[in-house]
Amino acid sequence: MQAGRRLRLPALGAVVQAWPWALLVLALLAVRLSKGVGFTDAYALLSRPFWPGSAQGEWVRSGQALNDQTRLRQLDADNRRLRSLLQLQGQGGRELAAAVISRQTGGWWQQLVIGRGELQGLRPGMAVTAPGGLIGRIAGVTPTTASVTLLTDPGSRVGVWVGRVRRHGLLTGIGTSRPLLRFLEKDPGVRPGDVVVTSPASTLVPPNLTVGVIQSVDDRAVPATEAVVQLSAPLEAVDWVQVRLP
Amino acid sequence: MSRLARHGWCVATALVVPWLVLAAPGPLKLAGIPPAWSVLWLLPWALADGPLSGALAGAGLGLLLDALHPGPITQIPVLALLGWWWGRLGRQGPPIERSFSLGLLALLGAALLGGSLILQSRLLGPWPLEPALHTWLAQTLLTALLAPLLCSLQLLLWRQQIQGGRG
Repeated sequence: MQAGRRLRLPALGAVVQAWPWALLVLALLAVRLSKGVGFTDAYALLSRPFWPGSAQGEWVRSGQALNDQTRLRQLDADNRRLRSLLQLQGQGGRELAAAVISRQTGGWWQQLVIGRGELQGLRPGMAVTAPGGLIGRIAGVTPTTASVTLLTDPGSRVGVWVGRVRRHGLLTGIGTSRPLLRFLEKDPGVRPGDVVVTSPASTLVPPNLTVGVIQSVDDRAVPATEAVVQLSAPLEAVDWVQVRLP
Repeated sequence: MSRLARHGWCVATALVVPWLVLAAPGPLKLAGIPPAWSVLWLLPWALADGPLSGALAGAGLGLLLDALHPGPITQIPVLALLGWWWGRLGRQGPPIERSFSLGLLALLGAALLGGSLILQSRLLGPWPLEPALHTWLAQTLLTALLAPLLCSLQLLLWRQQIQGGRG
């Protein structure tokens, strides 16, 4: 080693000239330490036009829907089998679509007239559903038409069930668009938003059909709690209904 | 015999009433409640054709309308009574043709019809009174509002038919 050689500091000018490289190193360090913050975001921003389009999303959703349908069918079959073992009212066999040819949702009677009748196998007492859930029961039939008494009609009485609190009640039409749910006991613990379905123990209508949602609860009603139910099927707008055949 | 009933097409116009009940045209509703179409048809018929024809027409119309609705509630007695009453009014004194008179008679008729339905419902079971009163009020008002127009036209037509039959 050459004696007398001294350690030389780099010239200040050279350091100043290298500052962009220093910044780059610092940025790389920051990316490394932050596990890619900024870098991956920039990548996402730049690559957005090449992301999987709506078609791929549809494929995923249709696959999910198929999976759900298969599962629903399987659960339905299980349910039928178990109900037959317990000798309870079935869900109803096939459904028959029928057009609404007359709608009287205001006035003294609340009823629909549908364009299917006795010739197609309809009988009084059959449950009628619409998109959204149960809307009523067939009250009378002619050879080609049937009149459906809606759940809102003052003469309508249907046993229902609030699944969250596991309580039975009687859904009674009062002539307005929202029927009244009369419970069998005081303080059943229901609250607005609870879903109402047909009673699993009902002998008049198929069980577990969606009826509506509780809108308000009157705990002071006598002899037991009452609730106002908003039907899930839009009675004013329904043009086609499904009749549940046995 | 009824002078109007000699013309078959005059009797056939009664079929319009159940068809209007079934069709329930949306623009002719007040707060979702249709008018009492039976009152609007029966009033001019009875005024023009007398009490017996009015009572029979009321009973016939009641039979038709009762067939459209489930349950034991009936409109026959009130419609027959209204037909008889309006027929008597048509035979006594000067002919009723003023709009106000027709509106008032229709208002009373619709009120009686609605009242009888409420009474029957209350007798048959616990029917909440508040929605029933809403229906009663809306139907009565709407029927009275439509009566001057619809009933005066029908009354004119029926009187022309009766006078034509005489000639």
